[in-house]
Amino acid sequence: MERAAAYWRQAPGAFRIGAVILAIHLTLALLGWIWTPYDYTARVGIPLSGMSWEHLFGVDQNARDIFSRVLYGGHIVILLAVSGTLLGVLVGATLGLTSGYLGGWLDEVVMRLFDAFNSIPFLVLGLLASAVAGPVASGNPLLLVGVVALVYAPRVGRIARSAAQNIATQDYVLIARLRREGVGSVVRREILPNCSGPLLVEFALRAGYAPVLIGSLGFLGFGVRAPLPEWGRMIAENRNLIFTTPEALLAPGIALATLVVGLNLFTDGVARLIGRSSVHENG
Amino acid sequence: MAQSEALSSGGEPLVAIRDLGLAYHQNQQLNDVLHHVSMDIKAGEIVGLVGESGCGKSSLSLLLLGFRHPAARIRSGEIRFKGQDLLTLPNREITRLRGNKIGFVPQNPTTALNPGMRVGAQIAEALTVHGKARGGEALRRRIVELFENVGLPEPRTLLRRYPHELSGGQQQRVTIAMALACGPDLLVLDEPTTGLDVTTQEQIILLLKSLRAQYGMAMLYVTHDLGVLAEIADRISVMYAGHLVEAAPTEALFAYPRHPYTRGLIGSIPRIDGSRAREGRLTGYLDRREIPPGCPFQPRCPLADEHCPVESQYLSGIAENHAVACRNWQEVTPLSFDDGELSRPERAAASESLLEVSNLTLRYDGGGLMVRLGLAAELPAVVREASFEIDAAEVVALVGESGSGKSTIARAISGLLEPAEGEIRFHGAPLQKKIDDRPKQLVSKIQFIFQNPDASLNPRQSVGRSLARPIEVFFGRGRSEAGELVAKALEEVMLSSDYARRYPDQLSGGERQRIAIARALVAEPDLLLCDEVLSALDVSVQANVLDLLERLRSETSVAMLFISHDLAVVRRLADRVCVLYHGQMMEQGRVAAVFAPPYHPYTLTLLMSVPGSPLRKTTIEPAAREERKPEPQGCAFAGRCPWQPDERCYDQPPPLHRTEGGLAIRCHLPLDDLMRIGLEAEENAPSAAQERKAGNLP
Amino acid sequence: MQIFLLCLKRTGTAFLTLLLVSLIVFAAIEVIPGDAATRIAGRDATAETLEVMRERMNLNQPPVERYLGWLGGVLVGDFGNVLTSGRSVVEILAPRVKNTLIMSGMAFALYFPLVLIPAIYQAVRRDRAGDHALSSLTLVLLSIPDFVLATFLLLLFAVAIPLFPAMSTIDARTSFVEILHVSVLPAVTLAIVMAVYAVRMLRDGLIEVLEADFVRMARLKGLGERRVLLRHALPNAVIPTLNVTALNLAYLIGGVVIVERVYSFPGFGSLIVDSLKLLDAPLIQSTVLLAAAVYIGANLLVDIAAILLNPRLRKT
Repeated sequence: MERAAAYWRQAPGAFRIGAVILAIHLTLALLGWIWTPYDYTARVGIPLSGMSWEHLFGVDQNARDIFSRVLYGGHIVILLAVSGTLLGVLVGATLGLTSGYLGGWLDEVVMRLFDAFNSIPFLVLGLLASAVAGPVASGNPLLLVGVVALVYAPRVGRIARSAAQNIATQDYVLIARLRREGVGSVVRREILPNCSGPLLVEFALRAGYAPVLIGSLGFLGFGVRAPLPEWGRMIAENRNLIFTTPEALLAPGIALATLVVGLNLFTDGVARLIGRSSVHENG
Repeated sequence: MAQSEALSSGGEPLVAIRDLGLAYHQNQQLNDVLHHVSMDIKAGEIVGLVGESGCGKSSLSLLLLGFRHPAARIRSGEIRFKGQDLLTLPNREITRLRGNKIGFVPQNPTTALNPGMRVGAQIAEALTVHGKARGGEALRRRIVELFENVGLPEPRTLLRRYPHELSGGQQQRVTIAMALACGPDLLVLDEPTTGLDVTTQEQIILLLKSLRAQYGMAMLYVTHDLGVLAEIADRISVMYAGHLVEAAPTEALFAYPRHPYTRGLIGSIPRIDGSRAREGRLTGYLDRREIPPGCPFQPRCPLADEHCPVESQYLSGIAENHAVACRNWQEVTPLSFDDGELSRPERAAASESLLEVSNLTLRYDGGGLMVRLGLAAELPAVVREASFEIDAAEVVALVGESGSGKSTIARAISGLLEPAEGEIRFHGAPLQKKIDDRPKQLVSKIQFIFQNPDASLNPRQSVGRSLARPIEVFFGRGRSEAGELVAKALEEVMLSSDYARRYPDQLSGGERQRIAIARALVAEPDLLLCDEVLSALDVSVQANVLDLLERLRSETSVAMLFISHDLAVVRRLADRVCVLYHGQMMEQGRVAAVFAPPYHPYTLTLLMSVPGSPLRKTTIEPAAREERKPEPQGCAFAGRCPWQPDERCYDQPPPLHRTEGGLAIRCHLPLDDLMRIGLEAEENAPSAAQERKAGNLP
Repeated sequence: MQIFLLCLKRTGTAFLTLLLVSLIVFAAIEVIPGDAATRIAGRDATAETLEVMRERMNLNQPPVERYLGWLGGVLVGDFGNVLTSGRSVVEILAPRVKNTLIMSGMAFALYFPLVLIPAIYQAVRRDRAGDHALSSLTLVLLSIPDFVLATFLLLLFAVAIPLFPAMSTIDARTSFVEILHVSVLPAVTLAIVMAVYAVRMLRDGLIEVLEADFVRMARLKGLGERRVLLRHALPNAVIPTLNVTALNLAYLIGGVVIVERVYSFPGFGSLIVDSLKLLDAPLIQSTVLLAAAVYIGANLLVDIAAILLNPRLRKT
């Protein structure tokens, strides 16, 4: 606890602002999960009636309370983003670290595949994956998790691989090889702990972009299924209200932007903290 | 010289540093780097500034060019150059002095030269910016002249080259030419020969001496290597943790160092004649978290009393030109050295052969598929037909400059690199080429210790984990059982058991190297492969690790392959020596035989280049003559050999001579000639050697 | 010779990657449940109609053969026909690509000054107020999703201050100047999003070079700040900048998808979305392959430029 407090005092200003924004977002997301002023699917007001005390951000075309929808959407966005990124980093890091340590033809094959995936622009790849799985899994949140992971894994894999290549030539890895330790053991004990910094930054960076990716897919009509108030799809469905009640777009837009700002500031700070002093772990 | 003396006798010196204090702004606080530093540099004088890594000497040298890091803050004092204070001079004026009146020679020429610019253009820039030349043919002639002055071959073609096309020694000559371009009054040299081979270092030092004689400029020579300063400096200032602790003329400093730190530093240098200080070598290391407000050396000082931690010490004169910052300087006794040969404990000659290497040829697999398809040529062999043996409990040294293939041999023995040809036998049985083919119990018997202690420990594992892992892997013991063995291993390398809980970033370089040695020892090996294990360490730390290795040698039965470029260390530690040049074994034999005539011409060249060697030569050679490359089967040293008899050297394998002393030399010269050359070399410099001995010069 | 081999190797690798992409795209479409015939004909088509359609579209051949046939067509410029209307893919693609090229050309013209000026300013004045302010600004801009930014800009410059149209309609009769006018808002959006990212990269890259030994050496030679920056630092920071620009091109292709959607711009990006919505296999294959080809091509150019610019690789 004391150490955490010391870190907090030393942390750059940007990191602290980011952490506060994130904390607010997380609290609101939790709150929205348990309670919202109105049910997010219920018809509760006069469509397009504008902002009022009853309906803070107004009411949409389908007479639903926008504030409740934005509030409820928080945990959807965050859960999808975090689990998708986590899956992508896990898969990418495992493949990248192993391939980078082993080298040779296996590494060559894995990297060519990563390169091929990476050369399809990520939004196009995401769209392609969603569209292909569309007929069976359209609108399923799990599909989005998979799509985010698919887009991220080869990118993380690239980073993990080059980090592992740098570590693999270090003398302590040679020493482990000279003990005839197995691939799994070397990757887990020697390589992974020393790549955890870049991987953590990579995770935070990707997690910061995941809401945008999910939002973009939602905006283009490839997101979660209809009544679920994911922010990107809300912006898309309220797009034609831009002339009449712009707050219907602005509310989810600002929610999304602040979440990403918070995540980015936080990541920036984490990267700097890692650059400055290493965090130890046992084992 | 006469001119410089005339200048120094009257008025202010060329450079006068007074009460200089410098701090770095870090984590919202100021960390002092230099404390009340005062020193003079007179016109035409070479002043040496010596100190261990991180003592502040580089910061000081950069301040002399008016250059400081953005986070640096001047706390006090001034630096007057020809009467102007460099610390308060406006930026425009400073820029006018830099590279013009004050030249700078950097530590690492490879990174200091712009990789994307031809070397000629980089010098031209220095000349034109200070208005020394306009361009065109005159500028070209001036650059050619400068290149000739620093001994660069074929200057007209060389100036159109890019830095990466030059050798390290040539690059350093380019930066020296750059520093000289505008005819400076002062040359600041920041570790100019660190990272160069000993023969190249020797040439650079001779060049600097001749340039001083020619132009009469003053120099500040900053280095960690007292041996080099003994060769070149008129006066030496010793720095410790940002404090100047002693300043004296070179001879006086070596003859009778009056500060305990200086004394320990001189006593810690491995000496080429094999002798060693009887006592007073440095112990411990500089711990930045424990610098007392008084004398910074106090925690490591044998003479410290109750005043030392609190009372600041400043340089004060004790004799003409000799100043010391120590309140107990009168208690410091002169250093005494034993006779190197006598102090060596004679080992019982072990008869059992441990490792036999025969006709080993090694090459790195460069092109892979490209080579097999015939699209790229196979890389030339790094090591060619090397053969040697190591007996049980014997220390065999592998000596050579960078690129000689000595580390590659160790990698092949360890199983990291598959030999192209030849055989390695261990305990009489052929050793599997690849590490993965060797049984575990065999793997544990050969242990590797690497050069760089920073890279050899996993930064995310505690010392205890690092030491326990080999025990778990090789002997299958659990963690609790391993704990006891870890404590024992730490004790073996003279560290307390609570080190097990520390992480590598909480250790000094010397401690890390001890842990690396302990990790090798817990596997209970028969053979240690020590790859330049001392060369990344500071002098004082080096002495401690060397003591540890000497103890292992005399108290345990582990054999060592000791790879080193440092002849003085080798002379102290090894039983037998193999000298390697460009992958060819030049000679091998017992230490006493290798370090006495007849010498192999290459060994003799090396010995002549070591600072402080009695065989030190005084002639200057042009850098790397455009030499003819010897054929693979010829003698690798052909083209560089000063005693080369004829053309045979280039294309015929040199014959093997064996002496009565058990020495095996490969050379086209007959043994008698080698003997004569060796004796002549010793005769040429006996008086100098005697003098040096008397003066404690290393 | 060595340099030629190196370039040849890079080119070979690029084509290999492109081949892999085509394989991935083809495989992805194979995975879609139900074949193209069912999708076009609808659920209540008779078995015979489906069979006739399959025969016509070669759907009865094994996948390997179809892949090779498709690849062979691509190599001679025949991308097949669109499923829905039966027109040739090239015919549909060409005008869309033209519009997008004009728009992204404009974006790149804005991009370079938007990157260079702030990045150089920040690197030179690092850790001062101006640097911090720009860093915060770029971080905030970086965090605003492009479709949100596009929507805001639309709100501002098409609705509140109607300088530009909210809907971009381009047909065969639209003049070049009109296309330019319609392209301004999407181009500005793209340029900002790309530049924000590159400014941060270039600033860090420049600072790294400015701390390099040889830059310090240039200062110690007595060179002025301007010469140090222009002659020593910038040329050595060019290669990383080129890499960022290639990365941005990758973004650009994804970005046009979003931006064209927001501004209803009839370009290549909206075509990708349409083809995916309709699951029109030939169109999906062609558009995705084209997108990847642009990215791979840009990277190849940057790689070769880096090789040519690096004296260490140029000679011997």
